[in-house]
Amino acid sequence: MKLEILVIGLHHSTAPVEVRERITFPGDQEGAITRLIAAVPAVEEAMILSTCNRAEVIVVTEQPESAAEDIIRTVGRIHDLDHEAFRDFLYVRQGIDAVHHVFRVTSSLDSMVVGEPQILGQVKEGYRRATNVNATGPILNRLMHRAFFTAKRVRTETGVGLSAVSVAYVAVELAKKILGDLKDKTVLLIGAGEMAELAARHLRTQAGKPIIVVNRTYENACALAGHLRGRAVPMEELDDGLVVADVVITSTGSCEPLIHASDLKGVMRRRRFRPIFLIDIAIPRDVEPAANEIDGVYLYNIDDLQAVVQENVGERQQEAIRGEAIVEEEARKFVEWTRTLESAPTIIALKKKLEAIRETELARLNGKLSTLSPAQRETVEIITRSIINKIAHDPIAFLKKAGSRSRRNVYLDVAQRLFGLDGLTPDSGTEEKESDQK
Amino acid sequence: MDLFFFKMAVALYLVASVAYLVFLLRSSATSAPVAFWCSVLGFTAHTLSIMHRAIFSKFFPLATAFDALSFFAWLIIGLFLVMRYRDPSPIFGSIATPLASVLMLYGSTLSYQIREPLVPILKSWWLPIHVSLALAGNGIFALIAVGGLMYMIQERLIKTKKIGRYHRLLPSLETLDSINRRGLPLGFFFLTLGIISGALWAGSAWGFYWSWDPKETWSLITWFVYAAIIHQRLALGWRGKRAAVLAILGFVLVIFTFIGVSALLGGHHAFSGTSPFVRIRGL
Repeated sequence: MKLEILVIGLHHSTAPVEVRERITFPGDQEGAITRLIAAVPAVEEAMILSTCNRAEVIVVTEQPESAAEDIIRTVGRIHDLDHEAFRDFLYVRQGIDAVHHVFRVTSSLDSMVVGEPQILGQVKEGYRRATNVNATGPILNRLMHRAFFTAKRVRTETGVGLSAVSVAYVAVELAKKILGDLKDKTVLLIGAGEMAELAARHLRTQAGKPIIVVNRTYENACALAGHLRGRAVPMEELDDGLVVADVVITSTGSCEPLIHASDLKGVMRRRRFRPIFLIDIAIPRDVEPAANEIDGVYLYNIDDLQAVVQENVGERQQEAIRGEAIVEEEARKFVEWTRTLESAPTIIALKKKLEAIRETELARLNGKLSTLSPAQRETVEIITRSIINKIAHDPIAFLKKAGSRSRRNVYLDVAQRLFGLDGLTPDSGTEEKESDQK
Repeated sequence: MDLFFFKMAVALYLVASVAYLVFLLRSSATSAPVAFWCSVLGFTAHTLSIMHRAIFSKFFPLATAFDALSFFAWLIIGLFLVMRYRDPSPIFGSIATPLASVLMLYGSTLSYQIREPLVPILKSWWLPIHVSLALAGNGIFALIAVGGLMYMIQERLIKTKKIGRYHRLLPSLETLDSINRRGLPLGFFFLTLGIISGALWAGSAWGFYWSWDPKETWSLITWFVYAAIIHQRLALGWRGKRAAVLAILGFVLVIFTFIGVSALLGGHHAFSGTSPFVRIRGL
């Protein structure tokens, strides 16, 4: 039998939020749920990927059909759900499609915001849990390492994650392109409002100096300044604030422009022409549009920033097409690798056999061990597991690096006979050898 | 073997230029590092080439226009490599490598044979001192002008809200302005020393320090213009776009003094050249 990679999952475009929010694999922090999936019959290796808009089970199995069915039922049991309730929203992929899918997801090409960087960390986290409970094996390990490698290639070889795709982030990037390093720069916030505060907070993480807050009512300014750990300045001293600040965010409810181009000319002289970046997110606008014509003044309103975001989103989609080509290439390479891998099933069988011996021996001595405390029992578990791991270590290491193809097949054959690994009969071994020689 | 290292350097610079061009036109991830390492290798070969020429001519290799051009190209690439250490954007390389390639290709069309016997005045140690100081000044002014040009482009892109790939590729306005701020005094310093060393050389060779030769006159004009530019910057706080425009205009004058004067006006800087307008000061 051939080992297949199988992916079962749902995400934002296949399932509505009512379904997504119910399938979250709770309690998997230490991999306990991953262990349940790995315990499904016919499943050799397993891991779970769970994010706010995606839930996926990735397994290695010899019987994809029956394993898929069992996994769906198990997932239903884990969440106390009838599996019929979510079955229609699931996608099931296997073989190269599954590999392709995993690589796309890890490279952030399948994300809601293409190119967002969190997904890689989330995949790594899911993989870490699975390795913690020994749910992964040679194939998943390799798959994940190739997935991380592919993600890195997509990130460095395409511009998929380069451009900012949120207004606040665009504002920070622009500020850097105008002012360079923001460490010694000052942010001035005029007025209040959710988006203004968000942008100010974003900038604050980069800008070193405390934020200056100006508001029509001085008390509000003080409150907000306390909030943002900045200082408040009364409205009458706005011009002084403009002389000091490097980035200005305005968001007042004023019907008349608050900052006139003619005022800014005077301010620029007082600033000794140091450049200033004005972000006007008020509607109606707080800064006279003509201010952008002044040398050293860079004025962006909310529409300008949104237009940049739009353009960047479009650009990311263009870059994603190049990312797809990389994923295609890497998926093909991975599948080629699985074809050359005959030692993996042998290693799995060997590990399984040793684990089975360990478990039967422990079960046989169950009566004598019943006096042990849970902690002591745990220790016995650990000791026995570490003994079989140590025994298996050298033969496995040997099988993994065993030289040329023909020689490796001989070693695999010998290993299977030596350890009496049923399921991989000598006949099937010789069959493989013959097909290899062809 | 004659020009082996020189040819190798030119070839590597050309490969780097093409790789940088590929990088600019299509954002290929591999081409920028390839271009950079080709520049580094090219620079190494170039250094060996200059050393080889020094051994060959048994003197600081600046006696022919070929050598002066090669040395100037070497300075430009050297400046770029130093700059890259500060700002890893590939944009400087995509200007420096083609520039160096063109200078060297042009130089290779000129004769590199050293006329024997060498004009006695060229055997003076003032030659390397004077020429390298003058060329270093020119190189820095070139860098400032390129920075100014990039500043104008980047400033235009930001003002007109064209925030795309080229905007991201170009360094920040602050970085570009700091090239101007730091480069101006440095270039001016070298220009001043270049003029003084030239005068001292003339004094020791001919007995008079200053003869209002066209090159001397135009160098002095250049010196006053840059002094004025520095004044605007330091005393009046001119920066950003204005400083960028001045840097570009100043460099036009430098080019004229460097190339135009000898070609059009002659004078005693025009005594060792092998091409109608290539003289001792390089071009």
